[in-house]
Amino acid sequence: MSNNEIDILKRSIERQKKARKQAERILEEKSKDLYDLTLQLRETNERLENLLSEKTSELEGVFINIIDPYIVMDPGGKVIKMNQAAISLLGYNFKDEDFNLKSIIHPDYLEQSKKSFEQLYEVGTIKNFKTKIIANDKSEILVQLNASVIYDKHKKAIAAQGILRDITREEEVKQLLAVQKRQLDIIVENSPLGIVLTDKGEIIKSNQAFQNYLGYSKSEIEGMIVKEISSPEDIDESLRLMEKMEEGDIDKFTLIKRYTKKDGSQFLARTSVSAVRDSIGIMEYQVAIVEDITKEREAADLLKESESRLSSLISNLHLGVLLEDKKQNIVLSNQMFCKLFSIGKSPDELLGKHVSSVSDLVDSWIVDLPSFKKLTQTLLKEKKTVLGKIIELHGGQIIEIDYIPIYSNGLYTGHLWIFNDVTVRNNYRRNLEIQKEKYSSIIANMNLGLIEVNNDDIILLANQSFCQMSGYSEAELLGEKGADILSVKNKELLLSKSKERLKHHSDSYEVQVKNKDGEWRYWLISGAPRYDETGKVVGTIGIHLDVTEQKQLELQKEQLLNQLESSNVALKEYAHIVSHDLKSPLRSLNALLTWMKEDYGDVLDDAGIQNLNLMEDKLEAMDNLINGILQYSSIQDDVSKNTSVDVNEVVKEIEEIIYIPPHVKINIVNTLPTIIADKTKIHQLLQNILTNAVAHIECEEGLVEIGSRDSGDCWTFRIKDNGTGIPPEYHEKIFDIFQTIGNKEGSTGIGLSIVKKIIEIYNGEICLDSAKGKGTEFYFTLAKNK
Amino acid sequence: MKGIVFTEFLEMVEETFGLEVVDQIIEEANLESEGIYTSVGTYEFSEMLTLISNLSDKVKISINDLLYEFGKFLFNSLGQAHPEVIKSYTDPINMIQSIEDHIHVHVKKLYPDAELPTFNVLEKTDTSIITIYESSRGLYALAHGLMEQAFRHFGKDVSITYTLLQEDGTKVKFEAKQNV
Repeated sequence: MSNNEIDILKRSIERQKKARKQAERILEEKSKDLYDLTLQLRETNERLENLLSEKTSELEGVFINIIDPYIVMDPGGKVIKMNQAAISLLGYNFKDEDFNLKSIIHPDYLEQSKKSFEQLYEVGTIKNFKTKIIANDKSEILVQLNASVIYDKHKKAIAAQGILRDITREEEVKQLLAVQKRQLDIIVENSPLGIVLTDKGEIIKSNQAFQNYLGYSKSEIEGMIVKEISSPEDIDESLRLMEKMEEGDIDKFTLIKRYTKKDGSQFLARTSVSAVRDSIGIMEYQVAIVEDITKEREAADLLKESESRLSSLISNLHLGVLLEDKKQNIVLSNQMFCKLFSIGKSPDELLGKHVSSVSDLVDSWIVDLPSFKKLTQTLLKEKKTVLGKIIELHGGQIIEIDYIPIYSNGLYTGHLWIFNDVTVRNNYRRNLEIQKEKYSSIIANMNLGLIEVNNDDIILLANQSFCQMSGYSEAELLGEKGADILSVKNKELLLSKSKERLKHHSDSYEVQVKNKDGEWRYWLISGAPRYDETGKVVGTIGIHLDVTEQKQLELQKEQLLNQLESSNVALKEYAHIVSHDLKSPLRSLNALLTWMKEDYGDVLDDAGIQNLNLMEDKLEAMDNLINGILQYSSIQDDVSKNTSVDVNEVVKEIEEIIYIPPHVKINIVNTLPTIIADKTKIHQLLQNILTNAVAHIECEEGLVEIGSRDSGDCWTFRIKDNGTGIPPEYHEKIFDIFQTIGNKEGSTGIGLSIVKKIIEIYNGEICLDSAKGKGTEFYFTLAKNK
Repeated sequence: MKGIVFTEFLEMVEETFGLEVVDQIIEEANLESEGIYTSVGTYEFSEMLTLISNLSDKVKISINDLLYEFGKFLFNSLGQAHPEVIKSYTDPINMIQSIEDHIHVHVKKLYPDAELPTFNVLEKTDTSIITIYESSRGLYALAHGLMEQAFRHFGKDVSITYTLLQEDGTKVKFEAKQNV
């Protein structure tokens, strides 16, 4: 043994010795205490014994009168004393017969009871000992025994006294409670609602649903503080309510709060908290029932939204709506209903009122009230859906009424009235009929032949005019194929037109048709596709006009024109030839005259010379005449020569060419327009008028004014002079060819006829305002778009 | 704290780790009692804490595990000292249920100054019991060991789980379920 080990053992022994001494000291102290106590007790005992003997007689009566069954038994269990309550409980009376408590104990409880009795005598008391005994009437009674041992002076146990309590019922209740508790546990554990037991905010117990809600396991959640899983914003309210409950103001409360799950997300839950109080009202625990209402809330929001959509739909509906419950109280109505019958209240005000509060107003609008009353009575009695009943209101409106009873699960719960104002629709339908009649009569009476065929060319309709045109009666035409009954010369054209029709094209064309009399007639046909309501081509409508007469006239006109054209050409050529052939002898005559004056001027007297001069003048006039004819005949409409012509320029050029006597002035009043025309013709037109104007001025200061104005489609020109004037009887004649007034030199009588011809080419007119000695004013127009 | 707890604790240390360890943990602690304990005496609770934490340092076992083991040891010791108490019970659940009403009454008879924990029974069936341990000492691991051994003593297999209702272990919920 090492020194170290010896040291340890030494120390250990030392401690043991000291411990023993300590224990001996404690025991000595206790012994002394006990001795002192014994002395004290002895004194007290003597006092008590005296006291006891005084009290025993009193107590005897008291024990007998104790309400609970009371027995006294010797250590062997033999009953030596019992009160009335014990007698009636057990059915035995110790006075009548000897009986042992042990002998009436139920066999199942024997062993346990034996131990308890031993314990009683060992310890001195026994508390709340339960056993089953068999009463005299063989009934089994569960009793609870509280007993204490009675000692004699020498501390020897001589008897035991006990109070029995019949706990049969109590135990049954207890077992029932245990069963119920187990059932409750099952319910709690399987409840879809979270259930949690808390003590001062601390979670002591919770069920599966609550753990599922929060995502914590059972062991994690128990011991947690409610605050840890509550959303901060709800804590104040929870604490406030909890405080009230603590103070006993309330026993339960419900609030909607957010919980924080283990994963940090939140959910909204309805939480009902109830206090569990002890018998004197102190709160021991709180039980909370937690229901996740996140989905419920979402659904409620959705419902609310759809309800508001529906109600705004109904209130803005173009139909009057009145919904009544089975007691005929108004459940719903809308704006249109109030408007139709001038109710003067909003739909909200009508809510919940009996329908009689509006029926007088409604009735006052009905034209045929008796029938309406009869109708509504029948409807309310039969409770069958009736749609589209027509009534007329005093305001002239036509109302269509629908009656719809409402059944829920087969039970009548009310009915719906729908009022539809169909006045416009009715009027529209009537208008349509009138229109149809109108057009039918137009079709029947019009001068144009109308025919309707389907896509197979079968005639579906033909009017009176068509029958006359074709010579066939309506009966002969209907149902026949158009091409079979009416022979047409150019069938290919007709076929191609039919194809066009299918492509939605409509147009007009001319065909030759043989009528019933076998006559060939020219028809102008306007064809258009006929559509059904879906827009599909179902046939053709043709409008026919018999143009045979016009056609013949047209043919005649064409022939005439051709003739005219060729004679015109011939005439033009003739004019050329004539003027050329006439000019050549004129030139010879002129040469001969000149030679005669040169060769024989000396031998001829004055009269002879004068005659020669006159001849010369006549020759010149003749030449001018021929030139004029040539010009006149060569004026032709030729659009290709049209250019932009500034009339001011043209006037300037003319002023430079023609002879203007010194006392005459030409004045342009306003800036003349630029027009689209053949410049040569405009030049000739103005030159002819101006030449005339300047030549016929005899007063000292001659003035010729040129002006113009825009007259919309055309330009109006005005040329005014202060010359000799033209007598009214010549105003027409001057525009005819070869007409002159007087015998003024150089006047051929062709100038104004050329003017008129040019103006006519430009779709214009010419007129004049003049009188002898008052000057002349010509007005003429030129179309802008020639 | 009652001397029997100290004497039994040192007994367990000696049995398990040897006399040397007993000597060391006493010598290393500066104890008012100098490590001299008798079961009939009463000593400071702090001395038990010092001894057990010294032992924990020495043998590298957590205090709670030591307490749990000590609980099991103590049950047997107490059972040997007072066999009549255990004999009056036929099953552990009834015994645990009666701690307050029966066993502690007897303890108080012998040691009127004993400071005892409370065991409030929350729920009890034939095969399970839920009880709330409350003690300013916070020696719930000791209670755990005692309970565990109580079941073993009656030859029952048991699963005991506990939840700290107070972090310092002064209030703990025990759930004992007998495995059938």
